[in-house]
Amino acid sequence: MTDYDVIVIGAGNAGLTAATSLALKGTRVILLERHNIPGGCATSFCRGRFEFEVSLHQLSGLGTAKSPGPLRATLNSLGVLDKLHFVEMRDLYRVIMPGRLDVTLRANRNEAVQELQKKFPAEKEAIASFFDFVYKFFQEVIGAFYLNDPEISRQKYPLFFQYALADSQSILDKYFQDPLLKLALSVYWTYMGVPPRHLPFSDLAALLFAYIEFRPFHMKGGSQMLSNTLLDQLLRHGGTARFNCAVERILVKDGAVRGVKTEQGDEITARCVLSNASPIATYIEMMDRDEVPEPLITQMRSSTVGTSFFTIYMGFDCDPSELGITETTNFICATTDSDRDYTESKRLECDESSFIISCYDVSDPDFSPPGTCQAALVTMKYAEPWLRLPPSQYASVKYRCAEQLLARSEEVFPGLWGHLEEMEIATPITHMRYLGHPGGGPYGFDQYAKDSTMFVSPKPPIVGLYGAGAWYGSAGYQPTLMSGASAARAILKELKA
Amino acid sequence: MKTEILQQLDGYGDVIKEIEVLRKYGYDYSIDRGTIRQYIDRLHPASLDLKIVDIIEETPSARTLRLASGGYLPPFQAGQYIALTLDIGGVRTGRAYSISSPPNQTGYYDITVRRVEEGYVSSYLLEEASPGQRIVTSGPSGNFFFHPILHDRTMVLIAGGSGITPFMSMIREIVQCGIDREVYLFYGNRSDDDVIFHDELTEISSTFSNIHYIPVIEKPSRNYKGLAGYITADVLTKELRELSGKTYYLCGPPAMYDFCLPQIEGLGIPKKKIRREMYGTPKGISAHPGWPSGVKEDAVVTVLLQGGRTITASSGEPLLNSLERNGVIVPFLCRSGECSMCRVKLLSGKVFQPEGVLLRKSDREYGYIHSCAAYPLEDLEILI
Ligand SMILES: Cc1cc2nc3c(=O)[nH]c(=O)nc-3n(C[C@H](O)[C@H](O)[C@H](O)COP(=O)(O)OP(=O)(O)OC[C@H]3O[C@@H](n4cnc5c(N)ncnc54)[C@H](O)[C@@H]3O)c2cc1C
Ligand SMILES: Cc1cc2nc3c(=O)[nH]c(=O)nc-3n(C[C@H](O)[C@H](O)[C@H](O)COP(=O)(O)OP(=O)(O)OC[C@H]3O[C@@H](n4cnc5c(N)ncnc54)[C@H](O)[C@@H]3O)c2cc1C
Ligand code: FES
Repeated sequence: MTDYDVIVIGAGNAGLTAATSLALKGTRVILLERHNIPGGCATSFCRGRFEFEVSLHQLSGLGTAKSPGPLRATLNSLGVLDKLHFVEMRDLYRVIMPGRLDVTLRANRNEAVQELQKKFPAEKEAIASFFDFVYKFFQEVIGAFYLNDPEISRQKYPLFFQYALADSQSILDKYFQDPLLKLALSVYWTYMGVPPRHLPFSDLAALLFAYIEFRPFHMKGGSQMLSNTLLDQLLRHGGTARFNCAVERILVKDGAVRGVKTEQGDEITARCVLSNASPIATYIEMMDRDEVPEPLITQMRSSTVGTSFFTIYMGFDCDPSELGITETTNFICATTDSDRDYTESKRLECDESSFIISCYDVSDPDFSPPGTCQAALVTMKYAEPWLRLPPSQYASVKYRCAEQLLARSEEVFPGLWGHLEEMEIATPITHMRYLGHPGGGPYGFDQYAKDSTMFVSPKPPIVGLYGAGAWYGSAGYQPTLMSGASAARAILKELKA
Repeated sequence: MKTEILQQLDGYGDVIKEIEVLRKYGYDYSIDRGTIRQYIDRLHPASLDLKIVDIIEETPSARTLRLASGGYLPPFQAGQYIALTLDIGGVRTGRAYSISSPPNQTGYYDITVRRVEEGYVSSYLLEEASPGQRIVTSGPSGNFFFHPILHDRTMVLIAGGSGITPFMSMIREIVQCGIDREVYLFYGNRSDDDVIFHDELTEISSTFSNIHYIPVIEKPSRNYKGLAGYITADVLTKELRELSGKTYYLCGPPAMYDFCLPQIEGLGIPKKKIRREMYGTPKGISAHPGWPSGVKEDAVVTVLLQGGRTITASSGEPLLNSLERNGVIVPFLCRSGECSMCRVKLLSGKVFQPEGVLLRKSDREYGYIHSCAAYPLEDLEILI
């Protein structure tokens, strides 16, 4: 008899939904987390009168009761849907390129199309037919891929067969002339981490379709409320959780997992182990080379560690309106050349980076204390240059980069700097520290077409071992929350067999 | 999705070729074993194993412990603290101490400890700690430092007693590194024969025109010539003349803090211009606003640890201390309610949490408490 049926390593989104799903099914499950609080990225921290949201900008895939998205069903089956209070956002985003572009897209297809047509009258028809195409294509993706139609064929799903592996840039180029228009429709690429030239069109279509049809959401109490609610549900249903308890080793015998050993030296046995830690940590740090099947090492060779972020968490002593912030999500772009932009993410300096400012209080005036508001300024940054920085320079470079970004925000929201009351700066190293991921990557590996679950199975070839979360599929709240639930289903199958 | 379907997708062959090439020439991650930990440890080690290399007696009630690792020490920002973990009389406990040496001194961290009446750890550090002894500490932590983006270049530092330590680090850095900043230090003490760093501060302020040192003594001796009494709004106004364009930093024991904060706020200084660090939990917690009248500080309650034992605790003492006395290990850093390291879940029973404890909304909703700043008012059940 093992101590538990299942051990879950890591209480990120995927670890939490996996452990909770298993507990709800009566499985004996233990969740082990290295940090002192659940959530991974989905967390918050306090400074002065502010509780800063760490990562949730726009929750995708939730939808409304009338027109539900896939995430709604997942949260419902976990029994947490009714316990959370969601806040719907009116807009997809505002895109600003100072002096050249300023357009706000509503989370409504017709309004978004009309707004773009107004700004780009010369490409009126192309805009309408692009949206038609996105919708038709994505409906085929849903049928063929997500619903796994057993009678799939090229005749039935022509667009899917033709474009499932196409990149986004080629489609944008096919429809549009004006680089500003292409920019306005592709800024969501930073939510995936690779630029339109590499971003599978199915991902860009998914973002546009899902955020329009299911709306972007936030939630009362921020993402920590989601994490605490999931944990509470786990505990209520007989699950166990330990914090400040990193897993150091996965115990393997004859090609099958037996359990884990924690940093405190405790050995815990179980039939299955699910890792929400990165595959690099799981296969390289927690196992010995001779325990890891060669194909796993080979498989990882074709993937590259994805981007991290440079984030400024800002607390202001006034309402958003006083800062001139009228939309929750603001993309502030430095160039229409997304390849250039992507290259900037591999540089240390932020003087030419594009960035996002999300001000939660625009959608949820209760988010921060009365008379104040908070915003997160985020830009994509890979860890590499930060790792090369001598530790003694770390703090001063942080400040320098933050100043560069604040100066650029001032161009769009004059006076913002003067209203700052609290701030905290997070770098790729900060993410590394709190998540334990290589490169501080909350998105996992770079997500090229070759890295999708179409080509890489999230299930390692070790009996009883599973992986879930951003590193084993797509990044983001909806995908990781759902990946945990689906890994739990696979585990239940194995336990029953 | 089945492979035979995938193979029919346009572009499938190209992706497979990419994968083959990359698997041939790509990166073997197994050589990275251990590197994540190394990168993190350079800046934020979970713990440091330090040695007391020197002890400097400062005043009758305070001494400086010089701590070194024998090698590398992570950098810190002047004003940050380290948390010491100690085994005193069989009890594993600890406290936070601000680093008093400047960040440019990379060979050691100094901490300067002043005796606290009936203080468990301070007495130990003053009486028993000796050179050569090893001490486990946290990495440098805390948010009490000069922030070049938020703060003004003129700093008004207001210290009480041992609250001088972070300011000492700041002032030493400014003068030793020639940093362009102006400092007004108001330093409150009970008597003029027990002022930590008095000679050094006097010397610095007479040498450097950007450092102004203003000691304020509560009960001065007969031939004392400086300011007497407390650091009041009046004292600040008189010495500073112009109040705006400056950032105010307040640090010291809870009693000093409770007195000085309203004085500063009373001057109309906006919230964002006031930064604070409170040294530990207040004495006489039952005198705090919101403490229920029926509960005495010496009341004894029981605490059931879910799935484990039951221990006893006293209402007037932070829950964390009682847990430690009973051998229960809970991680901590600040021990003043701010950092959330000592977070535990309250399953039943009531605790008193003084104002200023930084609890997340969702933590409040789900009954989490910061055990270093939570006082048990009745029998509790908790989950560690
Ligand atoms: C700044 C920022 C903004 C973002 N914005 C959005 C957004 O607007 N919308 C959106 O959908 N997504 C967004 N994301 C992405 C999203 O937050 C992540 O993709 C997602 O939360 C990842 O979840 P995960 O399940 O992969 O686990 P993670 O959050 O990566 O958590 C992994 C967990 O495993 C733990 N762990 C690791 N090693 C061990 C070990 N050895 N033992 C025990 N535990 C271990 C870690 O401590 C951590 O808790 C953002 C991310 C960031 C950082
Ligand atoms: C960020 C930070 C930085 C700090 N830096 C410094 C520094 O640089 N130098 C320095 O000297 N100090 C510093 N402190 C304070 C330090 O951490 C300790 O709080 C201080 O040394 C007292 O600890 P102690 O163990 O001696 O006292 P404790 O034993 O914790 O006692 C504290 C008070 O509680 C009372 N008390 C003790 N036991 C009980 C009981 N059972 N019931 C009720 N009341 C009780 C005592 O009478 C005393 O007044 C810092 C604190 C913080 C939070
Ligand atoms: S130790 Fe920091 S909040 Fe308790």
